Amino acid sequence: MSQPLTDLGPVRASVAQARGLPNAHYTDPGVFEEEKQALLFSQWAGLAVAADVPEPGDAKPLEFLGMPLVLIRDSKGTVRVFQNICRHRGMILVDAPRKIEGAIRCPYHSWCYSTAGALVSTPHVGGPGHNTHAAIKRADLGLVEVRSHIWRDIVWINLSGDAPEFDAAMAGLIARWRDFDLPVYHGGHDSRFTLEVATNWKLAVENYCESYHLPWVHPGLNSYSRLEDHYHIEAPGEYSGQGTMVYRQITNEHGETFPDFEDVGAKWNEQAEYVAAYPNVLLGVHRDHAYVIILEPRGTERTVEHVHLYYAVERSDEGLRMRNTQLWKSVFEEDIFVVEGMQRGRHAGGFDGGRFSPVMDSPTHCFHEWVAGRIEAHRAGAASAVRAAE
Amino acid sequence: MTDLDTRLIAAHDAGNLRALIGLYAEAADRMNDLDAACFYLTHAYVFALEAGTSEAAPLHARLKAHGREA
Repeated sequence: MSQPLTDLGPVRASVAQARGLPNAHYTDPGVFEEEKQALLFSQWAGLAVAADVPEPGDAKPLEFLGMPLVLIRDSKGTVRVFQNICRHRGMILVDAPRKIEGAIRCPYHSWCYSTAGALVSTPHVGGPGHNTHAAIKRADLGLVEVRSHIWRDIVWINLSGDAPEFDAAMAGLIARWRDFDLPVYHGGHDSRFTLEVATNWKLAVENYCESYHLPWVHPGLNSYSRLEDHYHIEAPGEYSGQGTMVYRQITNEHGETFPDFEDVGAKWNEQAEYVAAYPNVLLGVHRDHAYVIILEPRGTERTVEHVHLYYAVERSDEGLRMRNTQLWKSVFEEDIFVVEGMQRGRHAGGFDGGRFSPVMDSPTHCFHEWVAGRIEAHRAGAASAVRAAE
Repeated sequence: MTDLDTRLIAAHDAGNLRALIGLYAEAADRMNDLDAACFYLTHAYVFALEAGTSEAAPLHARLKAHGREA
C-alpha cells in the first residue's frame, strides 16, 4: 500500500502538544488535489451569494476549483447551481453574467434548457427539421444540478452530493446564531469587494479564527477592543472563531447608526462574533450588520476573498454603508501581509508545522484537527476502495 | 431568398433575436418542401424560446403538428 502524502498524527495531538499542518498542505499540488475532495467537494462549501443573481433569469458563470458552474435564479425565483455545460457536447453554456429572458441556448448546436435546468429543445437532433429522436430522452438530459442550499444569503454547495443535509451539517452554528435568524439585505454595489491574496485558503481561515494577532496586526482595535475582551469559539468538526464583548456601532458625522436587526436581543448590544464555518466561509455578526467572506481557492498559493456586507433593512444609509465597507476593507487588508507571509514561510524546508499557544490558538487548532480528520477519513476511504478493487 | 438571406445575416450579426424569429418564420413560409419549412421553423422556435417571447407557443404547435417537436 502506498504511503500517505503527509503524516497528520502530530496535528491531532492536544493543542499543547500538537504541531500545525505540514508544509505540503500549503504548497503541494498533490495534497491540494486530495484536500479538494476531502475538504471542499465533500462538504458544504461557500460558492457565491444569492444577491449575485437578484432577479429571475439572472445567470452568473462561476468556476469552483476548476469546475465550470452557473448560478441562476430561475423564472420562479429559486436560486440554483448547475454544471455550466451542455449535455450534448459539453460546451460552456453561459460565458458572462447576463439575464436569461427565456431559455438557455447552447451556442454550439442550440440545445435549449429552461432556467430550472430542463432540456426543452433539441433542434435537428433527428435530422434537419426533425427535433426529436427516440434515443434522446429529454427528461434524462437536463442540466446537471449541483446540490445547493441558501443560508444567510450564502449559496452553499455540496459537489459530492453525499454530505448530510445542510441543516444537520451546520446545526451547531444555526443554533448558536438563532438570534440572527432574520432577513439580511445585501448593501449593494458599495458593499462588496474582493481581495486577491497570494496564500493558501486555509491560512485565511486560520488567521480569521484567532484573536491572538489582533493587538499586533490591527492596533487600531486596541483603543476599544482589547485582547482580553475576546473569547474563543470552538465547535470541533464544525466551526471555530472568536467573539468580542465590546462591539461599538459605527456612526456617521451626525452620530447616526445603522438600524439594528429587530428583536436580536440585548445580549448582542455590545457582543459580536466572528466564525469560520468549515471549510471556506468566514462570517461576522453584529447587532446592526453582518458580513461574509467566501474564500475561493484558486490553487495551492492563491485565494480570492469575496466580501459581502449585509444590513437589517433594505435601504440603509449609503454614506454609513460606504464608511463601514471601508472600515472592514482596511481591517481585512491588514491581514494580507500575515497570510502571505505565512504562505512564503511554508517553503522553509523542515518546518515542523509550528507550535501553538495552548491558551490563545485553540480555535486554529480546532480547524487543523478538522482538516486532519477529514483527510484521514478520505485516505481511509481511498485505501479501502483500492483493496476492494484488488 | 437573397434579400431575406441578407436580412438574416444582418440579424445574426446584430444578435437581434426578435428579428431572427420573424425572418426564420418568413423563410419557413416561403418553402414548399415540408422538411425545409420545418428546418426554418425550428430556428424561429429556438430563438423564440431563447427570447422568451409569446411566439414560441404557436411555433411549437406548428412543429408538433408535423411531428417535429415533442
